[in-house]
This record gives sequence, C-alpha cells and structure tokens, in this order.
Amino acid sequence: MQVLRSPKVHPVLVIGSGASGGMAAWNLTRQGVDVLLLDAGERFDRSTFWTHVQPWEGQARRARGERPPPFFLDTAEQPYVTPPDRPFQLSRIWGHGGKTNVWGRVSLRYSEMDLKAADRDGWEIPWPISYSDIAPYYDRVEQLIGVCGGRDDSEVLPGSKYLLPAPAPRCGERLLQKGMAKLGIPVVAGRRANMTRSVGGFPACHYCGNCGAGCDTASFFCSADHLLPAALATKRLEIRSNAVVARILTGEDGRARGVQYFDRRTGAEREALAKAVVVGASCVDSTRILLNSRSSRHPNGLGNGSDVIGRYLCEQIRLNHYGYFPALEGTPTRNDRGIGGAHIYMPRFNHRAGRTRDYLRGFGAQFWNTGAGAFGAHAGSVRIPGFGAALKTAIKRRHPAWFEIHPFGEVMPYAHNRITVDESRVDRYGVPLPKIDYRIGENERKMTAHMADTVEEIVAAAGGVLVDYRRGQLDAMGSAIHEHGTCRMGADPKRSALNAFNQMHEVKNVFVVDGSAFPSASEKNPTLTILALAWRATDHLAEEIRRGSL
Amino acid sequence: MARSDRPSRRDALRTLAAGAIGTAAAGSWVDALSALAHTHARARTAGRGVQPAGWTPRVLSPRQHATVVTLAELIIPRTETPGAKAAGVDRFIDGVLHEANPAERDEFFRGLAWMDERSRILFGQDFVQADAAQHTALLTRLADEDNTTEEDHAGVEFFRAIKSMTVTGYYTTEVGLRQELGDDGRLAMVEFAGCDHPEHL
Repeated sequence: MQVLRSPKVHPVLVIGSGASGGMAAWNLTRQGVDVLLLDAGERFDRSTFWTHVQPWEGQARRARGERPPPFFLDTAEQPYVTPPDRPFQLSRIWGHGGKTNVWGRVSLRYSEMDLKAADRDGWEIPWPISYSDIAPYYDRVEQLIGVCGGRDDSEVLPGSKYLLPAPAPRCGERLLQKGMAKLGIPVVAGRRANMTRSVGGFPACHYCGNCGAGCDTASFFCSADHLLPAALATKRLEIRSNAVVARILTGEDGRARGVQYFDRRTGAEREALAKAVVVGASCVDSTRILLNSRSSRHPNGLGNGSDVIGRYLCEQIRLNHYGYFPALEGTPTRNDRGIGGAHIYMPRFNHRAGRTRDYLRGFGAQFWNTGAGAFGAHAGSVRIPGFGAALKTAIKRRHPAWFEIHPFGEVMPYAHNRITVDESRVDRYGVPLPKIDYRIGENERKMTAHMADTVEEIVAAAGGVLVDYRRGQLDAMGSAIHEHGTCRMGADPKRSALNAFNQMHEVKNVFVVDGSAFPSASEKNPTLTILALAWRATDHLAEEIRRGSL
Repeated sequence: MARSDRPSRRDALRTLAAGAIGTAAAGSWVDALSALAHTHARARTAGRGVQPAGWTPRVLSPRQHATVVTLAELIIPRTETPGAKAAGVDRFIDGVLHEANPAERDEFFRGLAWMDERSRILFGQDFVQADAAQHTALLTRLADEDNTTEEDHAGVEFFRAIKSMTVTGYYTTEVGLRQELGDDGRLAMVEFAGCDHPEHL
C-alpha cells in the first residue's frame, strides 16, 4: 500500500492527548509553538455521557438500544499478551482526553520521600529531581485543574495553598476518622480533582457522584475539556484523530524525524514529520511505540542503548475490603453521592517511629463507596443471610452503614517486570503487540500483611464489622491503572532512558512525558504528577526551541 | 501466551473491583452471573437491558419465567413497599441471562430445573405450585450457608446466584432505591452537607 507522506515538518508532534499529551499540547501552543497532536481515537462528546442517568433509566435506555460512550479499548481490536499464569489487567482509552475522561481524580503531591526513596533504601535509582523542582508545577497544575483538599501538610503529603474546599465527610468516614485517630494513624481530607468551586469558567461540581460515567458538565479535570479546547483556540494546534502511532522514525543521525501511524478507520499507513516528538500515549502504549521503533542506530528500540526501556514496570498492589458500622444501621438514608469517591485519605505512615517493618516503601488508603450507595444496595448486601421480609429489612437497615477500605501499596521496580514487543504477534496493522510480564515479590507480600493488619486495626478501632473478609486478597495485577517505570528518568544514562526534563538521553528531540517516565510508583495516584512533569518538560522543550538548541 | 480476557468479562470484573465484592477470583458461574448483574445494573457500563411495556422474556421459557418470578418475590417480597415482582426483577434477570455466556446461562437453567425436581421429591409438585410453607421450608435449607449436604449442593449454589441477581436488580429500580431504601435520588446539590451528627465526630 502506498504510504501517504506529508511534506510538512511540524515543529512538535505530540502522541496522545490524555493528561500528559494534552498538557504538552496546551503548554507548547500557549508559548507560540505549533503542534500536531495525534490521538488513536476520537473526541468523546460529553453531551452524550450518562452522567445524570439513574440506574433504572440506564436500563430503559439500553432496552431501546442506546449505549453509553465506549471509553475502554476493546481487546478484540487491540490485544495485548501476558504469560498464561500471570494475567495483567490493562485498561486503555483511545480517544481525546484518554483516561482523564473517567479517571479516579485522586490528586496527591509526591514528596521528597517519594522522589528520594532509592537514596534511602538503595533499591534502584532515585528520581533526578527534587520536590523543589516540581513544587512550582504542582502549584500551577492545581490552580489550572481545580483540586479540592484540606489544609494538611506532612513529609508524606506536602501541603498546598491552592486547594479548593474539601467536601465534608460522610457519616461512615467520620467513624473511620475517629477510629484512626485513636490508633494514631493519619487521616486527611481527600484531595481530588473535583472542582468544588468553579474553575476556568467550568461549573462547579454538583455532587451527583457519577464521575465514573464521565462528567457531562466538565466539573472535574479532563484533558479534552480543560486543555485541548484552549490549545485549539491558539490556532497553533492541529489534532489528527484515529491516528494510531506505530513507530517513531529516525534519520541517519539517529534523531527522530517523525512518526509512522495508521488510520484507525481505513488502516492506511501514513507518516507525519516533525522536528521534535513528545510521547504521551500512556505507559504501556508509549513503551510499545519506543520498542517498535528499531533502526540501525537504535537496534534495541528508540533510545534504548541502556536496555532499560520496557523494564522496571511498576504498578501498585491493592486490597479491597468492606464492612458496615452497626452504629449506623437503621439510620435514615442520606444522599452520600458527594464527589464520587472517598472524602478522606489515609497517607502513608509506615516509616514513622514504631511503625516500621521489614520491607521497603509504603502504602496509603482510600475509602470509596463508604455510605449509602447511589447504585442500589451495596454489593455486600447479598452476603446478608436469609431471604424474605427479614432480608429486605436487614438490607435497608445496613444501606447507610457500609464502609470500604482500599489500601494501595508501592510495587518495587524490578528489572524482570517487563514490557516487550512480541514480533510473532501483531495487531491489524502488522505492528507487534505489547507483551506484559509482571509479578510481585517478597517485599510486596510483606507489605500486604501490613496492609491487612492496618485494615483490621482500623475497622476494630472504628467499631466496624468486616464482611466476606479474605485477608490479604489482592486485586488483579494492573487494576490500579497506575503503570510506571518502563522509560524512566534518571541522572545516569546507563541506568535510565530520560534526563531530568523527560528528554531522551540518546535522542535529544524526543520527550516521554507520561507515567512511564516515573522511576518508581510510590503508593500515590500519579496523574497530578504526570501533569506537573509534562508541564515542566515542555517548558524545557519550548526553551530549547527558542534557543535553537534542538 | 494467552490473550487477556474479553471486554465484557473485564468490565464485569472492573465493576466488581469498584464494588469490592472480592469474589472475582473464585471464578464460578455464580460469581460470574453476580458480577454481570452488577455491570448490568449500572448506568455507566454498556450492556443490554430490560424492556418496558409489552415485555416478553428473551431467554426464559414461560415455565422458567414463572419460577424466576416466584423465587424473586420470595427473596424480596412485597412489604409496605412493592416486592421484586412489582419492581420487574424478572425482566432484569432475563436481561442479565441474555447477556451471559451460554455456559453460565445453562448453569442457571439447570438450577431452575433442580428447584422443580427437588420440589417434586419433597412436595409432590413443581416449585411454583408448592404452597408458602413449602417454599419457605425449601428456601430455608438453600439459604443456610452451613448446609453442605450433597443433595442440596446444586440448589445452594443456584440460590446464591438468583439471590444475588434479585438483590442487585431490585435495589437498582426506582422502587428499590428510592421507595424502599429512601434515597432522595438527587443528582445535583450546591454544597455537600456530609455528616452532621455530633456523636460521629
């Protein structure tokens, strides 16, 4: 098939339009840089989101043949490969805004503790930046996207003066707070990118709680609402939809000269040329693109002379436990929808005196689904014994009393946890599929035991009862949707792929700005840090363009 | 090398994780149908739904449908508020089964047949024809989590499945969520009041 080439050479080409790619496009265009943005999908029309749809209305709609927008990429269209005994649950969204359309919105600053953990414990490499490097960008991101939270400030979770008011806790969250206070376990207001006040002309959050359906009023940050339209308004952004990037093309000098991509509707192969390429396709897809970009100058994948690209995949381990508070049984049902997630957060505490154990790194906890559910009775209702009027009464009494605890723990970066490309397995365009080989080790097993102990202590202190409790049963690998590590930043080019500005050590006109750049996962949710790093990296890129040093 | 699960199952598991049921790993047909019911009940996920007026079952035979209606109403009966039958839980269950994979659907059908078979042995008639006391007697055995007898094994498993689907279906109807549980159904407020009980502070 004839490859359609465009003779135009764009100043910057950005791959992906989620948190990282969207930020790159926004920050570059507002500084006068022309950008071509390629996204593998289309725009999701938020007027079609099922945000304000009651469950029974949703069922009636489906009976009429209507469907909510299909956010998640179907593995029938784009498979990925895992070893048979090591499943990995990969969630991908191809479309404008990527996963920010339906993200969990938890927005936690990383601290010096997170960035320098490797200096302390000697495991793999530290981040090449300090908190002071990224703090100004956290300030800017929080002001731009609107994050609610409290006035707390600690060595784990640095404070911020730019947070919007936090919503009050629900009854069950109050009881959890009380129990944790008794134990000396820290608990703070949740920090979440729900705009509890209007930001940037977008209406404030109205507490419908259905953020998982996407927000039809754009009251939480989504790149497609909060970044791309502003970038388009500069007239410096061109967005090409349904452009599935396969490879970054390089010239004889080894530098990137553009990308090869496929039209998702027609399958046609195309090329686009650029002076610099910013990669923000999310961890696994960015890594796949880099590893598939082999050439005589880059036989091991683009900029991968160090052989670190694809290695050190680190996600997080998570427990999902639930139960109820007898003290809240039979109380009147309240509208607990709130900001569609926990209003409280347990920051990491296992490094503090008297709390340490024989493992590295740490865990925090979230408490989503605490309170009266908006989607029917809690899943635990089916565990109430019996049937008939007595069951009906018990379900009603327990409806306001449910709580959940979800500890998230850091998984260490291991060289053997790897994304590779499988030459024998290709997608519909003939491009090798990503193969994910990922497992946890002894450190994570020890941490899981501490997580389980903590769950049990908190529940006991708060006066709760665990239901269907399976101690230490981890959720599926990959289910936190926080993949990191496979194209990490670092000071040493032998041990890292990117410098402190997300710029490839070996290919100076390529920047990788998504979660793959993180040298470690931490226990925290990454999107706020992805936004801050992408902003910082593209400030650097814009400066290099201005200086003509690229 | 195995390809990852197909999306419908993955969506169901994702919903499970969000709801923290924690039974996904068990992998039995009961858990699969329970998970699918959750997916089905949520407006945010794709799936086929129940039909409004002039409805006829898509997968249940008339006899199976009658058994489902009877069982669902026994699990969530009419009290001061309508029960499963009036709330249309039979339609919900038919919709879930329509979406289920054939193997899981067949397990459910075998469970329905088991109910009749057991009822004929115990009471000399099909389940729907048995009287209230007989219904209660059989369901009491099946709802007993300590009942590990060989003769009731299939029934205990089936009861878990239909109970799960009934509870999920009923409490996601307007009757179940608003009338019975007392949810105000409001999807917009200016401020979130939160807990105002001094005793919870």
